[in-house]
Amino acid sequence: MSLTKRTLALSAGLSIALAGAWGVARAADNPAHQRHEAMETVQESFKPLRAIAVKEAPFDAAVVKKNASTILEKLKEAHGLFPEGSGGGDSRAKAEIWSDRAGFDKAMQEAQAAAAAMAAVTDEAAYMPAMKTLGGSCKACHDKYRLPKQ
Amino acid sequence: MRLFPRSPRVLAAIAVVLAVAAFVFWWLTRPDPFPASAIPTHQANLENGETLYHAGSCHACHRPPEGASDASLPSGGTPFPTPIGVFYPQNITPDRETGIGGWSEADFVSAMTRGLAPDGRHYFPAFPYVAYRAMRLPDLLDLRAYLMRLKPVRAVHPPHGVPLLGFARRGVGLWKRLALARPPWSAAGGTSASWMRGAYLVNAPGHCGECHNPKNWLMLEDLGRYMQGGPHPAGDGKVPSLVGLQAREKYEDAAQLTLALQNGEELGFEDLSSGGMGLIQSNLAKLPESDVRAISEYLLSLK
Repeated sequence: MSLTKRTLALSAGLSIALAGAWGVARAADNPAHQRHEAMETVQESFKPLRAIAVKEAPFDAAVVKKNASTILEKLKEAHGLFPEGSGGGDSRAKAEIWSDRAGFDKAMQEAQAAAAAMAAVTDEAAYMPAMKTLGGSCKACHDKYRLPKQ
Repeated sequence: MRLFPRSPRVLAAIAVVLAVAAFVFWWLTRPDPFPASAIPTHQANLENGETLYHAGSCHACHRPPEGASDASLPSGGTPFPTPIGVFYPQNITPDRETGIGGWSEADFVSAMTRGLAPDGRHYFPAFPYVAYRAMRLPDLLDLRAYLMRLKPVRAVHPPHGVPLLGFARRGVGLWKRLALARPPWSAAGGTSASWMRGAYLVNAPGHCGECHNPKNWLMLEDLGRYMQGGPHPAGDGKVPSLVGLQAREKYEDAAQLTLALQNGEELGFEDLSSGGMGLIQSNLAKLPESDVRAISEYLLSLK
C-alpha cells in the first residue's frame, strides 16, 4: 500500500470513528432521545402481550414474564430520563411533566407497579385484568403528559 | 390638514356611517332559532340517545374538572384551550338553573344545529354545531331525552377567556353566515348499510372532521383535504390524517381498527392516546360493537 493510500485509508477510518463517537456522545447526553428509545422497546414488548390478549397467541407465563420484565426495566430507565429542561424540539414531553412533577412521578410509578404485577401473572384468569391496568397506566400518563405527534 | 375634522357636517356624516355599520352588523348577526312548530311529536328512544351521546363524545368536552364528585356526568367546566382563548364548556346535565333542565326541544335543536343559546346568543364554534347540523331530527330529540334523564348537577363556570367576549360572541354570527351557508354533510356513495352507518356516526354526531379536517384561513373546514389532518387546535403538534390508514400500515383491517377504538392503549394502541384522542376513544368504546365496526369500515374506506 502506498503512503498516500495508507494516509487516505487512515483518515477515512478516523473520520468514521470520530463520527460514530460523536453520535454516541450526542445520544448519550440527550435524554429525550434515550427515553424515546426506551419507550420504543416498551411498545415492542407490548406486542406479544397484546397477541395473547386478543387470542392470536396462547397464554404463556414465560412469554408474559419476559416481556413484562423488559417493560418494567425500560419504564424505570425512561423515568430517570426526564431532567428539567429536556422538553421542546421534537420531544413530545408536555411542560406539565415539570410543572406537575409529583403527578407525573405518580403516573410513572403506577405504570411500573402495573408492569411488575403483569410480570408476576402465572394464570390466565389474572391476565386480562393485569393487561387493562398496565395498558390503562400507559394511557393515563400519555393523555396527560404527552403531546400529539409533532 | 387637521387630524380631527370639527365641521358639524363631517361629524354628522361619520356618525351616520357608524350607525349604519352598527345596524348592518346587528342585522347580519341576528339569531335565527329553530322554530318550535317544526318539532314533530316524538316517542323518545333513550337507548339511541345514549348511543348518540357516546358517538359525539359529549362527555369528553363537557366533563367536570378533575376531582369533581360526579366525574361521569357532563356538568362541564373543564378548560378547553383554543387559539382564540380558553372556553369553559356548558353544563349539559338537566339542572334547571345552571344546566339544560329548562330547555325546550326547540331550544336544544337550535343549540345543536344553529349554534344558538335559548336567549339567542351565539355559541362559539368550539361547540361543533356545524357538524351536528347533519344529525337527524329524531336522533337529536333522543339525545335530548337521554340528557334530560341524567342526574342534574348544579355547576357554575367562569366566563370564557376570550378577548371582548360580548362583542366576539355577537361577531360569531358573521362567521356563522359563512359556515352555516355550506350544506350540512350528507351521505354519498354508500357501499353497505354498515358503511352508511359509519359515515353518519363519523360525520354527524362524531364530528371527527372538527379536528381531522384541516381548516382554511376563515376557520372553515377545508373539505378538499377531507380528513387529512392538520395542526392541533390546542396549538402544539399535529392531528393525524385518517386517509389511507391501511395503505400506510396503521391498521391491518377493520377488525383491528375496531379493536383499537374499543380498547385504545389498554391493548397498546398508543396512537389513540394524547392530544385528546384518549378521551374520545374512551367514549367511543361505550358504543355497541356494530357501531364501532361501522366507524372502522368507513374510516378504512377513506383513500
